[in-house]
Amino acid sequence: MSAAQQSFKWIGTRPVRPDGVPKVIGTAKYGADYHLAGELYGKILRSPHAHARIRSIDTSRAAALPGVKAVMTGADLPDHDFAYIGPERLAVNFWHVTRNIMAREKVLYEGHAVAAVAATSPAIAKQAIELIQVDYEVLPHVIDVDAAMAEDAPLLFDDMITRGVEPAPSRPSNVSKRIQFEMGDLDAGFAAADEVIERHYKTKPIHQAYIEPQACLANWEKGKGELWSSSQGHFAVRNLTAKLTGITIGDIKVNPAEIGGGFGGKTVVYIEPVALTLAKKTGRPVRIAMSREEVFLATGPTSGASMTVKIGVKRDGTITAAEAILKYQAGAFPGSPVMNGCMCAFAPYAIPNQRTTGYDVVSNRPKAAAYRAPGSPISAFAVESTMDIAAKAIGMDPVDFRLKNAATPGTQMVYGPKLAHGGYVETLQAIKNHPGYKAPLGPNQGRGVASGYWFNGAGDSAATITVNADGTAAISTGSPDIGGSRASMAMMAAETLGIDYDAIESKVVDTEAVPYCHVTGGSRVTYATGMAVIEACKKVIDDMRRRAAMIWDVDVDAVVWEDGHARPASSNVGDLKPLSFKEIASKFSATGGPIGATGTLNAGGQAPGFSTQFCDVEVDPETGRVTVLRFVAAQDVGRAIHPSYVEGQIQGGVVQGIGWALNEEYIYDDAGHMTNAGFLDYRVPVASDVPMIEPVLVEVPNPNHPFGVKGVGEVNICPPMAAIANAVANATGRRMQDLPISPPRLLEAIDERSGTEL
Amino acid sequence: MTVRVVLSTGTSIEHTGGQKEFEIEARNLRGVIKAMEERFPGIGEFLEEETTVAIDGELHESAYFQPLRENAEVYFLPKIEAG
Repeated sequence: MSAAQQSFKWIGTRPVRPDGVPKVIGTAKYGADYHLAGELYGKILRSPHAHARIRSIDTSRAAALPGVKAVMTGADLPDHDFAYIGPERLAVNFWHVTRNIMAREKVLYEGHAVAAVAATSPAIAKQAIELIQVDYEVLPHVIDVDAAMAEDAPLLFDDMITRGVEPAPSRPSNVSKRIQFEMGDLDAGFAAADEVIERHYKTKPIHQAYIEPQACLANWEKGKGELWSSSQGHFAVRNLTAKLTGITIGDIKVNPAEIGGGFGGKTVVYIEPVALTLAKKTGRPVRIAMSREEVFLATGPTSGASMTVKIGVKRDGTITAAEAILKYQAGAFPGSPVMNGCMCAFAPYAIPNQRTTGYDVVSNRPKAAAYRAPGSPISAFAVESTMDIAAKAIGMDPVDFRLKNAATPGTQMVYGPKLAHGGYVETLQAIKNHPGYKAPLGPNQGRGVASGYWFNGAGDSAATITVNADGTAAISTGSPDIGGSRASMAMMAAETLGIDYDAIESKVVDTEAVPYCHVTGGSRVTYATGMAVIEACKKVIDDMRRRAAMIWDVDVDAVVWEDGHARPASSNVGDLKPLSFKEIASKFSATGGPIGATGTLNAGGQAPGFSTQFCDVEVDPETGRVTVLRFVAAQDVGRAIHPSYVEGQIQGGVVQGIGWALNEEYIYDDAGHMTNAGFLDYRVPVASDVPMIEPVLVEVPNPNHPFGVKGVGEVNICPPMAAIANAVANATGRRMQDLPISPPRLLEAIDERSGTEL
Repeated sequence: MTVRVVLSTGTSIEHTGGQKEFEIEARNLRGVIKAMEERFPGIGEFLEEETTVAIDGELHESAYFQPLRENAEVYFLPKIEAG
């Protein structure tokens, strides 16, 4: 039976979320909530300059301060060869990474870590870092991506030659890499178009703005290190910390803390190598907790970008050609998500002639880190805005225009393979059929539509199930729960085993308690770790069938598993009363010992995510303030295991998109200092800023997963920026091509008619 | 069985002198990687460790065991970043 045809007892229901009560009453333990006797307080000295050469660092006065137990600089971490390791899109150069953890030759952004201390109190630690003397030679800096690409831009690295260009450039620049995807005949495609639309767009760098700042506790005892930290993957924390400190993986254990938001930003490390180095130096536990200001200044935001998009379209609505040139800020070290931007830009559409070109550009900002569908929302803003203009140019409804060109299974993707899964058309139809889509609008109001695409991930996961004598069970995984995975793992186990959801405890355990799990990111956990859970459950079922056969003294092939019971496969086996999961569990000792199993796999066959959204906005023509009146987000979710969590993912992604569209941005002064490093001035949406986001769950099951699961956590953040810009254009007649569409910018466009015409 | 193997532009420049498409005799992904390694020494480790593979459009991590059908299309892509 296919996943689409199955009926379920637990899948698709909404049991009480297991993480709810601990979070509400305050017993959930986050990164900063762990303590050990005798712990020291770590504090990091950060650069006051956006760009400067370090002539010298003198830590002697800090080290001599009573209460200071250790001081460290970049020299206390092993250096690494200059080499890009890993895939093109994710290539990691540990020569760069170790310099991001702690600067060596230069500081490359305000807030760049320079040195650290461990002291017996926070006050002494603060006093100590003020005693560290750093002799800087201040250098010219550059923030904006276009400015960083200019001929005369200050260079962050004197020897950076752009990769991906043949022949290689003879001069260094801030362009780390150029990439390109192409198919068909672009010139012929544009020549065949009746209308060619070309526009330029800019987005500001923004932060993931998770509520919980990075925090960790490190201990070093008997030649081994132990960490407690909040992250999206404690196995990744372990492996990265090992690499950066020169300690073997087997000598580090990482305990997962509850996580207060990550959104991609907690897939990398900043403080763990520092805390563990200080713990090793002192022999005492060391805790480091970042302030909000440190989070803004020194942890990975997503890129700001400069983009040009060109779309050619016939009068009947057929897109004949499309091109995107995408320039993304990587921050201080190479590695923006521009390749994702290139691959996702036109992925929702069947366009025979395409070219996407990407530039990865360093500038004096913190190194970019992943943020929800990394790279895709940025290019989606430019592409989906241009799609709206193109639809207007030929007088077509924006949903019908997208339906006319929608990618379906078999559509050639610019990045190589053909699309294997559907789901996009269904999201468009869901929006077209939504009653609100045709609802009348009032004065100064406008409606906007946009779509988005994200790959979704899979990969390495593991899960262990242990069965207790009373018929309860525990599931352990190494996938931190940032979106409801403890509940969904228990629900998939309950469905597979045929027992009650309430009989299963679902836990996230440390790096020594379960085999390796890749990070919670890429919308991969419900899919991949879920498959590991199902595999473990199937092993338990096979074991229980074997034990039932032993009890009945029949062949194991004569025993089937149905609805939580071992049953005789047919009446020929005998008149045997079915044995329940609990009954077999109670006889574990007599039938061969404890019952448990581990499932491990490298999951593949994941299906991509598509989302189509529309919103209604009202613009105050006197202030430029945009009020979002309605937001409807349709997303292909494959199969919603726990619909409430899935709806929460969609609502969360949309709210972050609203912030990205309307308010969020890093604001710099002339010296390259961020002037709004706090939530009072860096304006994320609050509850009163947004309407109730209406999620529409479109279920096109993935046949490669036993329950039809597709990743749901990311694609929802791709459409909102363009949906809002398109709605604002319809409300005001002004096309806002730069984000954020903050009140002063929109007011200027309205008052001075300075924005681009529609 | 014969399968069609396609590399990204970047991978082809780096490992195969710019050739992007190949016909390979293999039953599973391990066979594809082995055959590519025989033709271009050093590429095998790269394909194993640093790519995601799309077999007839379905994405997989580059695990050895993935079976192939006759005339399957095998694309090696950069790995997908987590968010």
